[in-house]
Amino acid sequence: MNKALISFLVFVVGLGVFHNAIFPIFTPKEIGWILNRYVYFLLFVAYLIITNLVLRLKPPVAMTALFVWGLGFYFYKFVLYPPIPWTLFITYMVMWSIGTFLFISQDPETFREFRRPIVKTIVGEYKLAQIVVLTAMPILVGFATYNTIYPSYQEPVELRTVHPAPPATTKVHGKTYPLESTNNPFRVDEQDNYKDSFPFLDADKNEYMKYVTEGGTIFFQNCHYCHGDQLNGLGMFSHVFNPTPANFIDPGTIAMLQEAFLFWRVSKGGPGLPNESTPWSSAMPPWEEHLKTDEIWKVILFEYWYTGWHPRTFGTEGSTAG
Amino acid sequence: MLGKNKRSIATFSLGLILAMAMYLVPGMTSDAIAKEVFAEQVFAEEAFAKEVQAEEAVEGEGEAEIEWGQDVFYKDWEGNPLKGPVSGFPAPELGESDYNNYEFAPSRMLLWVANQQHLYFGSFVLAVPIFCMLIEFIGIRSKEEDPVMSAKYDRLAHDLMKVSLTAYSWTAILGGVLLFTFITLFPGFFKYMAGIFRPVMHVYALMFLAESGVLYVYYYGWDKMKEDKFLKWIHCSLSVLLNLIGTVLMYLANSWATFMQAPGGIDADGRFLGNIWHVIHSTLWNPVGVHRILGNIVFGGGIVGAYAAYHYLTAKTEEERAHYDWVCYVAMFIAIFGLIPLPFAGYWLMKEVYAFRQQMGITLMGGIMAWLFIIQAVMIGLLFFGANSYLHNGMSRVKGSHRYMKYCKYMILLLICCFTMWMTPHTIVMTPAELKAMGGAQHPVVGHFGVMSAKNTAVNLMITTTVLCFLLYQRANKKINVPWATVGNCWITAIFIGAAANIIFLGVYGYFLPANQRVGLSVPQVTTTLTTLFAGTAINISMFKDSESYGDIQWGTQSKVGTYAIFLLAISFTWLMGLMGYIRSAVRLFWHVTEVVRDNSVDAYTLTIGEAGKMLTFNTLFVWTQFVVVFWVGSLTGKKVVTQAPEGVPVPAQQQQ
Repeated sequence: MNKALISFLVFVVGLGVFHNAIFPIFTPKEIGWILNRYVYFLLFVAYLIITNLVLRLKPPVAMTALFVWGLGFYFYKFVLYPPIPWTLFITYMVMWSIGTFLFISQDPETFREFRRPIVKTIVGEYKLAQIVVLTAMPILVGFATYNTIYPSYQEPVELRTVHPAPPATTKVHGKTYPLESTNNPFRVDEQDNYKDSFPFLDADKNEYMKYVTEGGTIFFQNCHYCHGDQLNGLGMFSHVFNPTPANFIDPGTIAMLQEAFLFWRVSKGGPGLPNESTPWSSAMPPWEEHLKTDEIWKVILFEYWYTGWHPRTFGTEGSTAG
Repeated sequence: MLGKNKRSIATFSLGLILAMAMYLVPGMTSDAIAKEVFAEQVFAEEAFAKEVQAEEAVEGEGEAEIEWGQDVFYKDWEGNPLKGPVSGFPAPELGESDYNNYEFAPSRMLLWVANQQHLYFGSFVLAVPIFCMLIEFIGIRSKEEDPVMSAKYDRLAHDLMKVSLTAYSWTAILGGVLLFTFITLFPGFFKYMAGIFRPVMHVYALMFLAESGVLYVYYYGWDKMKEDKFLKWIHCSLSVLLNLIGTVLMYLANSWATFMQAPGGIDADGRFLGNIWHVIHSTLWNPVGVHRILGNIVFGGGIVGAYAAYHYLTAKTEEERAHYDWVCYVAMFIAIFGLIPLPFAGYWLMKEVYAFRQQMGITLMGGIMAWLFIIQAVMIGLLFFGANSYLHNGMSRVKGSHRYMKYCKYMILLLICCFTMWMTPHTIVMTPAELKAMGGAQHPVVGHFGVMSAKNTAVNLMITTTVLCFLLYQRANKKINVPWATVGNCWITAIFIGAAANIIFLGVYGYFLPANQRVGLSVPQVTTTLTTLFAGTAINISMFKDSESYGDIQWGTQSKVGTYAIFLLAISFTWLMGLMGYIRSAVRLFWHVTEVVRDNSVDAYTLTIGEAGKMLTFNTLFVWTQFVVVFWVGSLTGKKVVTQAPEGVPVPAQQQQ
């Protein structure tokens, strides 16, 4: 039997067996270090390599390229979880395709070998392949066209700026704050010596934990419905909002921002965002209408204390002598 | 020969490093030096101010005639704004009458095209003399050892200057077009800038004259100064002078752009405070200068590479093919050498932008310009892919390379994985349904790639992989014979594994640190990468002593894929340069001069990503059309009769002993 055909069968049949029989075993409700989908994928790759090596199949370059490309597709489409958005999937697949191309074109010999079956198909030496390709291509193009023009009722995607540039100053309760130089007046412990303390127990012992406790109280009275009791953006109302409330645990949110930035965002809420951030599509109220200035600062203090992040600071060396 | 003769490689690498140091060291150290000079200067200025005030107080019976303004940027040692005598008019509030336009296109677009075209050509003509300086130097150094190759180097440098000469006139013409565009379409703005930079503009014009003079003597004196050894050195020194004048020219022109973005030396009303150095040397001047020098080298390398690649593909004789294949390699070597430190210069620039105005930094990296940075990431990834593809294909024509070719696929896999991290956006474009399916705005797995810790790790690993690929290319045809070969190989392996481990460790560690400390981790990561580059290359070259050759590089046998990779690199450089220029300029948003001169024209809006992309593509195509014309014009003087290759197996000149 043709070795290339065996190699192809090893891939296709193996994929079928692995996906339907083994994949469910590796996706239990309680994910472990061994029983998880990524270990499953590595096992499948190992199976492919070992089988091809043991049987000395040496598939042609074009087929190897197909396997490599197919593995990428399978990983991004079925293994990676939760499913990634379409735009990201396309991006990843373009990259993987470029990688596959680099793999086959790494030297003239492999590239020539890769082209050989394609050329033979085009010139008609592989008659059956030519018929299949020439029949399948118009069908695929037609199907893609149909899919493109078929009306879709999904909301359109939007390019929204999550962290817009703040204004130079913001006016809250009649007072103007320059954002670059304003600090949290309640951050009395610069070293974060109490980051492992429990707020309510230490509240009476030192000033810093007293403010944190007060901030926590305000947070749970006002903010946790959306931002979550673990500050991970998964509050009880979070699933009905688009965009979803910010996840403060994520290193890409408050960990990257100055406290003054948060002060501006919390005070002005969704309606106070600049146009680039589509102020009409944020549900956060302007908290300056509900909280006092000190309360806003204390909530911010609590958010940093709880998540363990430290507010962003910027060096000032560049602004003196140029 | 590069790639053939180990001494030439070492000389060439050393030459590049020295040339780089010549440009970079002043830039890097100028801050420290500037601070000392600044202290003395501030002291002198304050003393002078007190004297003047005292004199005025005496003469004018207590009434000071000179008005003193506070600098918008410079501060004294106590952190108070520096004071200076008001020496200019306040910034105008521009109205409708300060802008002119044509019916067929918005003024801003016309200015954009004029500016970008001039910059592209300026970049090219500043880069070529750097190449010529290096290549001519190597030619002189290798004359006694290998006269054939020495002549080849000399011919290459001369050919490049020939092309550059035509491009030089073209650059001047485009500069004129740009100047007239400013004067006719933005007269109000230009009047203000001319008021501030009046002396700089005159010095600029005079420097242009000096550049032209040296250039003509350098080019037209080539043949006359060729034979005599002393005169040849004088000739080579002229190229150094040419480069120095070119660099001063570029820095002077840079000062206008950096002043617009981050002004200094004026007060809040935009009035000039009497110190022209403050206006020139604003906070972004040095990082933009260094970034542009490196960018010019990369861009120039890309263009020369594409020029050679075209001639390689259309060559009629084996000798021609061998020659242009070699030129492609030299150009790519230079381009990649400039490409490796380029991201670090970019980091420095961004750090200074953040230090100047946090808002500006956020607009660039997290705000309205953030998606353009994602596109930049894609383009940079393409550059690395192109460079590696060229090296892999180039390696395959070297005898003995089969020992290393088997590692190529793993390097590609590593590059792809790093690139996936590098360009995963923090904010993903998705439909509400996809957002719900994902369970939040950040993906629990790939969401971790959206922050700088992952990106720095990815780009450093990509650079390290490219360096490794280059080291393998260098040693592909060599059988290492030094007694310490095993130890050397172990050291190289240890350096690369250690570097990768350190880069990954620092990247992961960054997730557990506050953002301000996390940013600092990029320094040891970059240091690790650069250590790998320099230590790895040094050990590798040292191991070539007494090495045996499996055979010379078969110049003229580069694959078509590898050659097309050069076109990809050249076009990517061009597009990327336009993109980053647009981002740097557009971050001023609705200001001509940040917070001083407001842009009140109808064009004061930020383009959509699609519109910006179309303009960038137009500029790229337009400039390449011009380059084709310039190359064609340049080739008219040197048309040679194509000689038929002799029958039998031809021996390329590079391989003749």
